[in-house]
This record gives sequence, structure tokens and C-alpha cells, in this order.
Amino acid sequence: MYKAVIIGGSAGSFQVITRILHSLPASFPLPVLLCLHRLKHVRSGFVEALSLKSGIPIIEPDDKEQIKPGKAYLAPANYHMFIELGNKIALSTEDPVNHSRPSIDLSFLTAAQVYRDKLIGVILSGANRDGAYGLKKIKDLGGLAIVQDPNECQVRTMTEASLKMTPVDHVYNTSEIIRFLQTIKT
Amino acid sequence: MQYEIGIVETRNVIKTLLDDYGYDFRDYALTSFKRRLEQIISNNGLKDADGLIGKLKGNPTFFDQFLNEVNIDTTEMFRDPSFWRTLRDDILPEIIRNSTTKPRIWIASFDSGEELYSLTIILKEMGALDKVQIYSNVFTNATIQKITSGQLDPKDIEINEANYVRLNGKSQYSSYYKVEGNKYFFDSTLVKDVNFIKQTPIIDKDPGAVKLVLFRNQALYYNQLLQERVLQKIAESLVAGGFLALGIKETLENTNANNKFTVFNETERIYKRKNV
Repeated sequence: MYKAVIIGGSAGSFQVITRILHSLPASFPLPVLLCLHRLKHVRSGFVEALSLKSGIPIIEPDDKEQIKPGKAYLAPANYHMFIELGNKIALSTEDPVNHSRPSIDLSFLTAAQVYRDKLIGVILSGANRDGAYGLKKIKDLGGLAIVQDPNECQVRTMTEASLKMTPVDHVYNTSEIIRFLQTIKT
Repeated sequence: MQYEIGIVETRNVIKTLLDDYGYDFRDYALTSFKRRLEQIISNNGLKDADGLIGKLKGNPTFFDQFLNEVNIDTTEMFRDPSFWRTLRDDILPEIIRNSTTKPRIWIASFDSGEELYSLTIILKEMGALDKVQIYSNVFTNATIQKITSGQLDPKDIEINEANYVRLNGKSQYSSYYKVEGNKYFFDSTLVKDVNFIKQTPIIDKDPGAVKLVLFRNQALYYNQLLQERVLQKIAESLVAGGFLALGIKETLENTNANNKFTVFNETERIYKRKNV
């Protein structure tokens, strides 16, 4: 019944996201959209690092790329990543939001407007408040909101800001997030 | 990010722009255009899309301001330094060497000045500023005025400077501007010979016989239809062997223009026009 999973994270989320991607089966039925804060001038290396142990292919999409199930799409450095009607990626070079480009809020907001109640949003460890508003929009439009347990986070600012802004469906540690994602069927 | 407008209201604004001013935004990418309208509505203290439509009607002054606000500014000088290095070391020397008259360079994106100043600074450091003829697309006279007076909004001067250092510029980045109060004045002599082309969103004019087109990160804001149309226009404007630079996350793959070009540099997304 879901159409996509979107995951946002910043400082302290790399290990978590690596574990999640490692746990996903090649037959994972949904696209996974990843918006992670990263160094703007480092163009390569990040996809490669995430790909090492991932169960599904990770793509750093070009603009207008078609989104397909069973693949992960990582927001490129120094671009915002929007989800556009027609299940496509739309990149943007507009100003940073929350001092961030890519901004998690913008990826989450645009994904929520396209997938509405068919979207799962996950906020992981991070050092700023980017993502909190986006997760609220997912919740407002009927999607499912998951936040990593702040007690497990290396940096808890992002998860705490999210929990403060909206009542979420689940507060999970990494193992629970993985177990939840593994139960998803189409 | 509080106020949000719907698709129907967005279409109503687009209709007003077309009916009242002949500017066709119908094939702009929906998500980013909608977002832009939301920001304009909130920046101008308007209530909603109807408020914006009301203010646009019969108000060319506000329409000009709208055009400046709806256009997404280039946010950095020398964005993607390795691209500018490739331009300086591989492309510009080739097009200058192989030309008997001044080769034409066309900035076909609606640049807020950053691409143009980056290009002219590089040309100046090559001693080649007077060896080329530059054309640059703009929406409004206000943008021409801003660019030719050198009063760019530098956004983040430290990022610009870091980019300049990464491309191994010959000089000091700070030698290209003066600060007065909190204003930056870039060296406007760099752009004194530039030809500005006033365009509507569909880019219906082109300089012709162009050897290099910079069209970086502009088609991000187009849907596929408009992207196809403008790429077609650019392909027609380029001479055989001429170069086209897209943004580093844009591609000609999956477009009809693809068969008119070969890939010159995959990483920097630079293409070369085939012989017809």
C-alpha cells in the first residue's frame, strides 16, 4: 500500500543509514529517497561509500530521472532534491533552506505532496532542525512518520525537533526501523 | 514555508502571465514554479494566488519585479570549480585558436550575473577577454542594470572565494570587487562588451553561429517539453564542433537533442555539436 520511503539525516546518521541499506533485500518493493546533509564540494565518494554494503542499488540521480522501486536515490551535493508529479526527481539550485542544500524539509515536503498517505518518512540523527517541518507535512497529508529514538542518536537535535513539531507514529531504534522496513509488502 | 498554493491556482497565475503579458510559463516544472509563487506571495505581503493575480494585472512595473523574483538566482560564482577549470584549460583555448573572427559564447541560462562574471574573470586571466563575443540571456532591464553596474548580491562571498581557490585562479578573488558599506561592487569593466538578449521564458531568440553555450542548471526549472524545445534551439544555434555545457546533474540522455551531440566530458557534462 505504500509507494515510497524517504529518509533524512545529518550528523551521526551515516552508520545508521548504512545498516538500514545493508538490511534491505534486493527485492525491496519501494523506492528509497535519501536526503542526507553532506559536504557541498565533495562530488564523489559518498554514493560509493554507501553502496559498499547496500542491499539495493544507490543512485545519485540526474534531474528528471524516473523513480523506480528497489532503488535508493541520494540527493546530490549542492542541489535540493524535489519529488515531482509523474514519479520523477527534480533538482534545484535555489537558496539553501535551514542552511542546507540539499534540504530535508524540501525533499520531505515535495514527496508528501506527491505520495500523500502512501509515504513513509524517517528522520535520523542530526545536528540541526532541518526535516522537522517536512516530517510534519508527511503526517499532515496522511503519511507515516518514524523518528529514530533520540537516546540512540549520536546527535539528537534533529529527532527532538521533529518530535516536538508533530506527533509521530513510531519512535524506533535502528533495529526496529530495519524490522519495520523488512515487513513492507506492496 | 507556511502558505501553500494548489495546482489550479498555479495554473491561474500562469494564465494571467500569458494572457496579459505574453510570457509563457506553462512548461516550467510545476513543483519549483509553485514554490516560487508561494515565496513571491509571501515576500510581497499578498494573501493568496488571487492577490498575486490582482497585483499583476495592468501593472507592468510589478510584472518586471515578478520576473526578477520568479527567476532563480545563480547562487555561487565558479560553482563546480572543476567545470571552470575544464573550460579554461580545454575548451576556451580551442575555440579561440580555431576562430578567425571573435568566437561567440552564449550564456543561455537566466543568470543573475555570477556565471557571467565567472566566465569573464577566467577569460581576463587568460588574456582573452577581448578575443571573444559574449551574449547573455536576461528577463528584465533591471537585471542588465544590476550586472553592468557590478552590484551583484554575492550571497556567500566565502563560498565564491573557496571555489576560486579550487580552480587555481591566477590572481586574488578579492581583486575583482570593492566593498562599500555592506555593498559589493564587482569590476564592471569585465562585462562592458557583453550583449544582453532580452528573452521570454521560452527563449525565442538566439545569437546564431555560437561556439560555446553555457546552459547550466536552467532546464531544472523546465518540464521535459520545454527542455526539448530549448535544447533544439541551442543545437540550431551552435556551429558544428561547438560546445554545450549543462549542469553537472543534467544530461542529454533521454532527450531528442542527444543524437546531435557527442559527449566531450562526461563528469562535467560538456557536449560537442556533431557535424550536421
